[in-house]
Amino acid sequence: MNNKYKILVIEDEANIRGLLTAMLESGGFHVIQCDTCDSAILLYESYHPDLALLDLGLPDADGMRFLRYVRRNALTPVVVVSARTDESDKIAALDLGANDYVTKPFSSGELLARIRAALRSSRHCNEEGRLPGGKFILEDFLIEYDSRRTYYLGQEIKLTQTEYNIVAFLSEHCGKLMTYATLIKEIWGDRTDENSIKKLQVNMANIRRKLGISPSEPKIIYNELGVGYRMDHSI
Amino acid sequence: MKKRSIWKDVAITVFILGVAFVISVSFQNVFGIDEQITTLFAFAVFLISLLTNGYVYGIISSCVSTLAINYAFTFPFFAFDFITPVNLISAVVMITIALLTGALTTKVKRNEEIRLESEKERMRANLLRAVSHDIRTPLTTIYGSAATLLENGDSLSPDQRKLMLQSIQNDSVWLVRMVENLLSVTRLDSDNVKIAKVPTVLDDLIASVLVKFKKRYAAQMVLLSMPEDILIVPMDAMLIEQVLVNLLENAVMHGEGMTKLELRVYAEDQQAVFEVRDNGCGIPKEKLQDLFIGFYEQKEGSVDSHKKNTGIGLSVCATIVSAHGGMISAENLPDGGALFRFTLRLEETVNEQ
Repeated sequence: MNNKYKILVIEDEANIRGLLTAMLESGGFHVIQCDTCDSAILLYESYHPDLALLDLGLPDADGMRFLRYVRRNALTPVVVVSARTDESDKIAALDLGANDYVTKPFSSGELLARIRAALRSSRHCNEEGRLPGGKFILEDFLIEYDSRRTYYLGQEIKLTQTEYNIVAFLSEHCGKLMTYATLIKEIWGDRTDENSIKKLQVNMANIRRKLGISPSEPKIIYNELGVGYRMDHSI
Repeated sequence: MKKRSIWKDVAITVFILGVAFVISVSFQNVFGIDEQITTLFAFAVFLISLLTNGYVYGIISSCVSTLAINYAFTFPFFAFDFITPVNLISAVVMITIALLTGALTTKVKRNEEIRLESEKERMRANLLRAVSHDIRTPLTTIYGSAATLLENGDSLSPDQRKLMLQSIQNDSVWLVRMVENLLSVTRLDSDNVKIAKVPTVLDDLIASVLVKFKKRYAAQMVLLSMPEDILIVPMDAMLIEQVLVNLLENAVMHGEGMTKLELRVYAEDQQAVFEVRDNGCGIPKEKLQDLFIGFYEQKEGSVDSHKKNTGIGLSVCATIVSAHGGMISAENLPDGGALFRFTLRLEETVNEQ
């Protein structure tokens, strides 16, 4: 029929579902709608959408069930829609493999940016991944994976082992929000607690300083306070 | 919590009885007096009833005291004797003291609790009244504009339509902010749960604050100054983020004529100091006094005199900062503009290698 991206919208409140549909269609996406977890799984199987937009508070089952179902055998990006009151659910969803989230209320600009980043990240994984000798380029930032070197604005940046590991890991999942727990497990193999989160934040602050990126104008690496970090294009 | 207070009461009881016993023994052995010993124990029982919760400890200690006096300090020494009338009288006196004091102090404590509860209730009622009043204005705009657009949209010029949509957007943004603030307050208020402080690197906090602020006020530049050292502060990051966003927004909304908005963070005496300063019109003198409590304290009659945006923001800031054990203050700068400052205790300073 056409080659638009297909987005599966799973949201039980009709008003918001209508709003999401309008926003997405105006952004050039093809929208498939449903309002329960069961119908979502059914539609997912028959349409194979490119991305799913999932509200966490569904009436028939927790949205997590859908997420678990998809993540059993597919990397289809899932973006979670959450309210500020269900922060812990949001983090749990990200830990389970959701790509990103938008918090209600959101503007159409925010929603489309998150969705495009999530679609980009899934393409990224497919095409590049961590190839030996591969390079990663994001705006002015360059990683050479085999020599473990990083460059910013043409200058080589001397990172410590840990800092490099963090940056490399984020780059492999460019566009995807990585939670504290995921990062800590990958970098140190530790459990997530106050100390490991602090260690991660200190490393991140040092990376920012070495790149010369001020908190007032974040670039390359973005942080979601209390949730995690994401490497991404500037919006 | 409950267990701890039981242990505390037991400790008080044992300690006071112990002291009374030691003093009595020394009275008897050193000075050879034993007439005042009963009085002394009566005083001990009175103190215990006063300092502990409920009747139990007072009654137990009065029984113990009676037995102790009977056994050790009255004739016949080191034997129990319940027949001598003097001993019986002292036992009755002790138990009466314990019961009466217990009853009185329990009543006083309960009254105090009721007073605190009703004070909280009054604050909550004030808050609710002020919130519902403040919410009515934007809702009127949103409802009215949406209805007009639906019914008579065709007869309006594109500019008029745009203006109405704009006001719908602005007022819903205002409502969103109000709800965020209310959520922050309820997060603090629920059963006085202590806030969960997590060590947070200030870089991440500030980055998040500025991104959030920029989303709403894209045109407003914020000059940032931060130390080279990495500062770590134990905090509930969502709440402190709310404080900083509120202070920055407050400057935009009330600092008329502002051209420069600054956010400064520095360390001083084991404290992280956060300063938001602008070069706008400053804070009117009559408002400086109750700037941070105004929202909870405004009287019913005076609500209307407040502009809609004097809202809840600063009161929420003060509540959050004091829940963190910090200080918040506001002042006017000598060369115009306002300065808001708050402090939080630092965890440690990690120097850059």
